[in-house]
Amino acid sequence: MGIITPETSRHDQQHHFGRLERLRRNVFSISGAGMVVLTMILVCSAGAKAQNPELPDQGPLQQTGEASGKAGGHYTTQQTIEFGYRDSMINGNLTNYNMFQDYASGWRLFDYDLNIHSANHQGLLFDDLTFGNFGYGGDPVSVSRLRVDKNKWYDFRASFRRDDYLFNYNLLGNPLNTTTFSTPIPITTSPNASQFVRHMQDYDLLLLPESRLRFRFGYSRISTKAPGSTGYEPTAAVVSSDLVGTSNEYRMGVDYRGLPRTTLSFDELLNYTRVDTSLASRDFAFQLANGTPVNLGAVFQGTTPCASPVINSATIPPTVASNCTGILSYSLIGAPRAKFPVERFSFQSDYFKNFTMSGSAAYSESSNVMTDLNEMFNGWISRTVTRASTTAGPAAAKRVVADVNWAGEYHITDKLSLRDEFYYHNWRIPSAWLTTQTNLFATKAGLGQSGLTLPISPATAANIATVCPAPFTAVNCPQHNTSSGPDVLSEAVSQFLGQDLKNNLLEVKYDFTKRVSAYIGYFYQTRTIDDFAATSDIGEMYFPGGATATAANRFLAARADCAVAAGALPSDCSLDPVTGVITEVGPEATNDTARNYYHIRENAAEFGVAARPKDNLRINADFMAGYNDNSFTRISPRQLQSYKVRATYEPKPWANVTASVDINENRDNVYTVNNLEHGRTYSLSTALSPRSDFTVDLGYGYMDVYTQTEICFPDSSILFTQPCPVAGSPSPLGTLSFYASRDNYAYTDIMFKPHKRITALVGYSGSIVRGSTTFLNPLSPAGTLDFNYLMPYASLTLDVYKGISYRTAWNYYGYQNYGIENPAGLAPLASQNFNGNNVTFVLRYAF
Amino acid sequence: MHQRTFLTLAAVLSALWLWSFPAQAQQNAVSQAPAGGYAGADACKDCHAAEYESWEKSRHWKTSNNTRGGPAKQGCEACHGPAADHVANPADTSKLFLFPKATPKAINAQCLSCHASSTQQLHAINSLHARSDIACTSCHSAHHSATREFLLVKTQPELCYGCHQQQRAQFSMPFRHRVNEGLVQCSDCHNPHGTERSHQLRTSVTEDQVCYNCHADKRGPFVYEHEPVRTEGCEICHTPHGSPNVHLLKMSNVNLLCLSCHTISFANAPGAPSFHNQAAQYQACTLCHTQIHGSNSSPFLFK
Repeated sequence: MGIITPETSRHDQQHHFGRLERLRRNVFSISGAGMVVLTMILVCSAGAKAQNPELPDQGPLQQTGEASGKAGGHYTTQQTIEFGYRDSMINGNLTNYNMFQDYASGWRLFDYDLNIHSANHQGLLFDDLTFGNFGYGGDPVSVSRLRVDKNKWYDFRASFRRDDYLFNYNLLGNPLNTTTFSTPIPITTSPNASQFVRHMQDYDLLLLPESRLRFRFGYSRISTKAPGSTGYEPTAAVVSSDLVGTSNEYRMGVDYRGLPRTTLSFDELLNYTRVDTSLASRDFAFQLANGTPVNLGAVFQGTTPCASPVINSATIPPTVASNCTGILSYSLIGAPRAKFPVERFSFQSDYFKNFTMSGSAAYSESSNVMTDLNEMFNGWISRTVTRASTTAGPAAAKRVVADVNWAGEYHITDKLSLRDEFYYHNWRIPSAWLTTQTNLFATKAGLGQSGLTLPISPATAANIATVCPAPFTAVNCPQHNTSSGPDVLSEAVSQFLGQDLKNNLLEVKYDFTKRVSAYIGYFYQTRTIDDFAATSDIGEMYFPGGATATAANRFLAARADCAVAAGALPSDCSLDPVTGVITEVGPEATNDTARNYYHIRENAAEFGVAARPKDNLRINADFMAGYNDNSFTRISPRQLQSYKVRATYEPKPWANVTASVDINENRDNVYTVNNLEHGRTYSLSTALSPRSDFTVDLGYGYMDVYTQTEICFPDSSILFTQPCPVAGSPSPLGTLSFYASRDNYAYTDIMFKPHKRITALVGYSGSIVRGSTTFLNPLSPAGTLDFNYLMPYASLTLDVYKGISYRTAWNYYGYQNYGIENPAGLAPLASQNFNGNNVTFVLRYAF
Repeated sequence: MHQRTFLTLAAVLSALWLWSFPAQAQQNAVSQAPAGGYAGADACKDCHAAEYESWEKSRHWKTSNNTRGGPAKQGCEACHGPAADHVANPADTSKLFLFPKATPKAINAQCLSCHASSTQQLHAINSLHARSDIACTSCHSAHHSATREFLLVKTQPELCYGCHQQQRAQFSMPFRHRVNEGLVQCSDCHNPHGTERSHQLRTSVTEDQVCYNCHADKRGPFVYEHEPVRTEGCEICHTPHGSPNVHLLKMSNVNLLCLSCHTISFANAPGAPSFHNQAAQYQACTLCHTQIHGSNSSPFLFK
């Protein structure tokens, strides 16, 4: 039975999907699609009953237990509804509670099940119908599943799922503002917070399921809405983000079973995905002296956003200096559209004696096109003295996939079999991005003007000669510095990434006895990854002007890609002697235009034993050891081992004991990488049901996760002094970073019936996690390293009357962080802890 | 010309359509007469009433209509073999297929004799469960199932947790896929009957990682790919079932995870530049590198 909470226990054994308590909103809601389906079902069931109302009620159906149901026509109908109220009383960090559980107070439809069965298989429209629902009324997860089938005619399945997930973990992405800064800014919400709401619908229809030729049709739709926030890099500002995505998928397939013991299938699929992303400035927590709202970003350290930002904290909002990096307004809109057509042929055959094989071949040429990226920034970036910018341009990427696999198994004798699996997967992603960017710089500063209050220079490519004539000292000349980007950038980007993968597994299996078998196999895989990147400047223009302009730096027009080297401009940069503008045309000097190939050959040996020494004891052991001659990333293993042992023992028909050991070891032992990872799990569980009125489930698991890698990084603290061991790294310092986590997980479920009408449940589920890791920054909170997450529960169910029962359930949630939540020197953060109780009152009616 | 082509096509399709129907489909083949060593399902009913009733109410009842396969593919005998001798002499079970006494290999072969043509069992040869001598009846029960759907002996995920115990602990973590809550099922990502990929993972419909079935906004393809996402898979940074760490990351500190590769690698992973002072600010690189899964407009995955 495993994890059973009061609100799931009784029904889980009957339901085709599990459920835990779920609550959030108080408003009962069913989606439009769900309502249509529900209406159809109720109409169908009503019609079925009307066909022959004289038939008496029939006995209970198998698998649905307690409800007797009602017979009518050719059908027996069974329904169960659970409705009630949950009172949620949580203290502490409600944001974390909502992120981990998100069950709020309110009325809920905890469960509604409908089963209609044609006992004599003479139903007009269907033989069986099952319709299950839970979570409606505001829970974070709402699910409906429907299956209807009619004998040899059709099999239809549909599901609707709603996922409401809040992410707002304030320790991730936190810029670690210090208390020593003149205005310590505590970050109480995640800069990358979002409220995901995802609706997933799936419909599948199988026509003529028993015939030689059967047809499959399907449709799926995922719609995602994720309003939240994200970061804008140049100013480290938090801006609002809104993501709206829909993915529509259409499937058609046909299976042909005309050949003996052989099935041939063909599928055609089309997926169309659209993602609309929009970002907009927000969090105008400060104002300039002239009252203009400004967002100074999330980072308040050192000279970011400026040395002394707040000049008057008495105003509301506080008044800040205008020479700070900040945003006056910002927006970005992007709307990529992707199409994924897929054709797939597959087969399965037992045609040849003692030889079984199957395989498939698929091809897809998908494209993702974004025609309308549009980004606008108005503010001040002190590092590049940029006053405003716009970016636009179309982007397109393709993904071409060829996928072939084949597997065959030959039974050489009754005891000896040979199996071979071959897999070929080739994909490539060519892409292009044609961008135009305009960077606007300020004029010379007037009286009292700086940064955010500087006027924008009116200089353009067309009027630069008049706005900023030689010697480029006019008031309206754009004021650059040596870090400024081009005034106008127009470039074409071409990228490529591809992988060719082939692998083969050859395995021999031998049955020593009817109770003991073993296999040994060899796996070989070869991967070739190749990439390519090139950027060609169509016209990158650098206007002259700036406080540090000199003839030597071409009055600051010679900067960035066109900076003077050895007294001369780069060959692809040309100076217009009249306007002083330098234009770069041609391939970027830093282009990596040669194809880079990475070849990886992987070898692995595997061995396993399956034994059933007795009817009530089963033992499985699987071992694997592999070696790769290369790795694509530093944390991809070159050596890997896996050891898995599982044993299940049933000393009595009512007792079950399961134990397992699962150990995975990965290493990339190049001395400058020194990557080592392991995951070791030891588990033990038992399920006892000595009587129908008393069951006990117990379980314990210990997980040990460890990873280490040599890393290089820049760091101004005195904690690290060891030089970086990796040649070519731009970071000076190095250390052997590590992360270790140990989880003790235990659960208990006890059910007992003190009276035939009363069912009591009590249980517990909890994780105690302790960990350690390298801290590069002494200000970093420990985050999720050490915590206890405990969830005891209890419930009491009273069978009031035939088909009617009442249940009261209690759930406790306790999250206690034991790591350093608020290191000394860090602007104050709220506690991560929460604890509290949910009490649920449920009325259940089965009829 | 076009009319003749159309007529020919229509004729061929009609023939295929008619051919696809089982010949002489019977509404109730349960009571057909014994043929050869077969007795028919009705003969089983008297002694095995409970089993008969459960079979009749299950979708296995459809075998009654399998006239193409003959009595060997119909009713109780489709799974249990010819029962005529057993009916004549109840003590004689020599020709019956008795699941409790059969080996896992024999059980699986018996089930696949009908189910091999299903799309879900297409890759049954690749099944890691079968390789480990896990029989179909370890998870399914024709007569004592807990669910109508798929005749499972327990509901998901409890069924899977029975052996895969560490996943129970992972799905109880603060950060997890909502499997216990019923939003996602184990079989949404894994096909327990086998796939061509490791861990019996399904693929997305676009022949890509199964994660994109739900996380469609991260599917791309992008102009600027974060290459390991494509080549190594999502698991290079995430633990998919559940994790103590935010976003199911493999480490608690994002920067350590990023620096694991961005220290100059064998591939195009640039090292962290000198102005990324780890002691100064930023808990996570993703504050600025927000489009970590891929971007269409920023080589640094800023936007």
